[in-house]
Amino acid sequence: MTPYLIFVLKRFGQFLLVVFLGVTITFFVTHLTPIDPVEESIGAITQMGQSDPNAIELMRQSLRELYGMQGSIWEQYLHFWLRLATGDLGPSLSAFPTPVSTIILRSLPWTIGLMTVSTLITFVLGNAIGALAGYYRKDMVLKAVSLVFIAMLPIPYYILAFVLLIVFGFIWPVLPINGGYEMNANLDLSFALVLDILKHSILPALSLILVGAGSWLIGMRALVSNIITDDYVVFAELGGVPKGKILRSYIARNAMVPQFTGLAMSLGAIFNGTVITEIVFGYPGIGNLLIEAVHAGDYSLVLGLSALSIVGVAAAVFIIDVLSPLIDPRIKVE
Amino acid sequence: MQKWKRFAFGFVLATLGLTAVAGAQDYTSLPRKETLIVENPEGTIKNPGWFNIWVNGGGGVSTGLQQLTMDTLWYIDPEQGLGGASWDNSLAADKPQYNADFTEMTVKLRKGLYWSDGVEFTADDVVYTVKTQMDHPGMVWSAAFSVQVASVEATDPQTVVFKLKKPNSRFHAIFTVRWNGAWIMPKHVFEKVEDPLRYDFANPVSLGAYKLKAYDPQGKWYTWEKRDDWQRTSLARFGEPAPKYVTYTDPGPPDKRTIAQLEHNLDIIHDNTPEGMFTLKEKSKTIETWFPGFPFAHPDPTLPAVIFNTQEAPFDNADVRWALALLIDIKAVDMASYRGAATLSALGVPPTAATMKDYQAPMQDWLKNFEIDTGKSKIKPYDPTVGQQIADILRKQPKFKDQIPTDPEAITAAFGYGWWKPDPKAAGELLEKAGFKKSGGKWLTPDGQPFKIRMTVEGDTRSVFTRAGTLIAQQWAAFGIDAKAVPAAKLWQTALQPGDFQVAIAWSVETWGGDPDLSFFLDSWHSQFVAKKGEVQPPRNWQRWSNPELDKIIESIRGISADDPKGMELGKDYLKLVAREMPTIPLMSYNVFTSMDTTYWTGYPTIKDPYTDPVPNWANSRLMMVKLKPAQPQ
Repeated sequence: MTPYLIFVLKRFGQFLLVVFLGVTITFFVTHLTPIDPVEESIGAITQMGQSDPNAIELMRQSLRELYGMQGSIWEQYLHFWLRLATGDLGPSLSAFPTPVSTIILRSLPWTIGLMTVSTLITFVLGNAIGALAGYYRKDMVLKAVSLVFIAMLPIPYYILAFVLLIVFGFIWPVLPINGGYEMNANLDLSFALVLDILKHSILPALSLILVGAGSWLIGMRALVSNIITDDYVVFAELGGVPKGKILRSYIARNAMVPQFTGLAMSLGAIFNGTVITEIVFGYPGIGNLLIEAVHAGDYSLVLGLSALSIVGVAAAVFIIDVLSPLIDPRIKVE
Repeated sequence: MQKWKRFAFGFVLATLGLTAVAGAQDYTSLPRKETLIVENPEGTIKNPGWFNIWVNGGGGVSTGLQQLTMDTLWYIDPEQGLGGASWDNSLAADKPQYNADFTEMTVKLRKGLYWSDGVEFTADDVVYTVKTQMDHPGMVWSAAFSVQVASVEATDPQTVVFKLKKPNSRFHAIFTVRWNGAWIMPKHVFEKVEDPLRYDFANPVSLGAYKLKAYDPQGKWYTWEKRDDWQRTSLARFGEPAPKYVTYTDPGPPDKRTIAQLEHNLDIIHDNTPEGMFTLKEKSKTIETWFPGFPFAHPDPTLPAVIFNTQEAPFDNADVRWALALLIDIKAVDMASYRGAATLSALGVPPTAATMKDYQAPMQDWLKNFEIDTGKSKIKPYDPTVGQQIADILRKQPKFKDQIPTDPEAITAAFGYGWWKPDPKAAGELLEKAGFKKSGGKWLTPDGQPFKIRMTVEGDTRSVFTRAGTLIAQQWAAFGIDAKAVPAAKLWQTALQPGDFQVAIAWSVETWGGDPDLSFFLDSWHSQFVAKKGEVQPPRNWQRWSNPELDKIIESIRGISADDPKGMELGKDYLKLVAREMPTIPLMSYNVFTSMDTTYWTGYPTIKDPYTDPVPNWANSRLMMVKLKPAQPQ
């Protein structure tokens, strides 16, 4: 067995362990919260006018059985893994009996759309400005632009979301502040609808881009600052190679290697959603869904969303790790 | 290249979620003059394609599903109802017929009613509904049928006979809509389904006057269309429904609802904040509300109250409970919570129009003469003029002075009769009677510890009550009690049900509203259902209060029929008992700030024409459909 294959197998084992531990912790955290989905359901049934205590007790027993909440927490835990092993995330408890996977798949495209686009824009914007600012260190415009992004970096993205909401929703109301598309929109597939959806994604995306670009910028500027003192860059400059070509071909390409690692991790984290941004803007993604699930004590849905996120992030890290030695010659597998 | 472009475009659309919305029809393309647009307070429906209302939590209920397509045997309207009585025989042709010992109930059904797919409604549907739910634990009414029904059979196409496991003079309540009831299932649809618990009922067959037209796959809106054969439904007795289409939407938070109604894009707002309502009344010329002036809102048949955990000392002592009641300045609480827009109640029933007539008015003399023995003196705590005083305070505010009624009867209807007057001296005497002492300006419990009270409130989720609870705690603190309001997420599940609270602000009383029978909540207050300390309390009696006298009243109510006039006397006995014992301190109505825009529709229910509750998520709101009239030529 080659050293690389051993490395890959080891990393795969770690990946499985991370997923197992992450899902296990999530299982116990959700099951130890004071919110009980059975009591939630009973509360709803009571609202429907039923109050016979004998019937309520019978209903409690039935729902416990139906929701798979009978037995000790360890029995439930075992049952959960047996089900998960067959790819079954179980039924949602707050939208019983619709499968958790159906509900997640309805919200997931919105989050993937928003997060993919905003993460890529953030990545491109931050790295481009970072590379330019690192190379043309005396340029006043680049300095000013960098300063703006770096100043925004410590602002929590949800604070910026509220600021954007107030500025563009109330003071200068030019952009929609709620939902994924206009409620009165004609929902036939059309260019107008695409524009409407894009319009609704501008503010949520901006709240992520403006805050996120700063960290890419700082990282890229630091990498470029190191590379420009390397011999091959100095020789290229002395040899009269155009500055643009030096930046693109000699500096940026080398500096981008670790940045792409970060990008892969960011894309993996897309499954986390951006809970607060989605809540602030009423965006119909998995962040909103997660909060609803937590409020309703919907263990299955919380577990489904958490498992997705854990697997997403762990898989991204695993893929980066196993690809890095193949891409970056500086990394060697012992 | 073209291929790649198409692929790229498709990918972008998919990631933007268009796949999820493509194909849905747009409700705004419908003629506005023929469409009624109302708020669904359930918000965005997580599982929009689920219409099987017999499975709990499966999907939306107030999307129009229960209001426009469902039907059951009887309705009790929280208000006056159509046809001259709040009781309405809907699918049933008559009232329920019980045998002498209430172990058998016979129902006669109407003829000539049809499902929207053309199949006739018969007794078999009723029998199927009961049996199917009994056979499927987990369906909404399964447990309720299972504990009560021994057998059910159709003796002819229009007759159903229930045999009960034990005497129950209120068995019909399960088939009686207040907000909701055991809806009848279409046998011909469900009998073909393998598992009724897992069937989405995606093309709901309707027994109501409307049927599903379209809905948003993201759960934001539902549109229903009037059936061509609406004459073959129970609603047709009252006339033809006017709106051809009815849309239930999630218009977003209160500010968006307010804006949508100001722009005439939302005909009925189910509930708003008091401030949102004031804005609408100020800025819109076309808004109609339940009361034309203050308090604008509709009083729900629920009673917000200070609820004591009577299993916890010292709240197990009626003197302590009464002392705390006498420290409340209700006028300040009213202004802080509802900004004055509330209807007060000193009695343990919500001040709906019907209970004002049945209980509040007839008991005014009793209240005026009601006495409390503080141990040192006897006081008459009732102040019958509080409603009037609140009207006077509000009239001094320039913004709404013209909207405050001046007629004494209108003032009573709007603000209630009276309430307990603050009496710190008597409160102190009552605490001393209970063994408390005051030291250094602070009250100490009989065992010498500081008297601490933690008032559990809901926080942001019900800010009106949170404001009331916080102010009450402050009023107690000003008297020398270490009282604070503490927010609890999920008040019902985390505090009220497990009994993990001292004092909370919530409600434990709900009534039919339009009917004097108090069994709707009172039956569950019997001591047989009070949980032991530390165990989960069944619904309603969150105060965990038991009293032998109360048990006797409840048992007497169980032994008579729902419309026996003796029931109202027993109801008054209950009210006198809880006034003496004060297990909860009744505060005011649960006011729902419903507003109705008259740009496209008129004929909404109001205090002047109280034919139903205006709150559009209640199933009774179907009555609106036959009373509404188009405001503009079609």
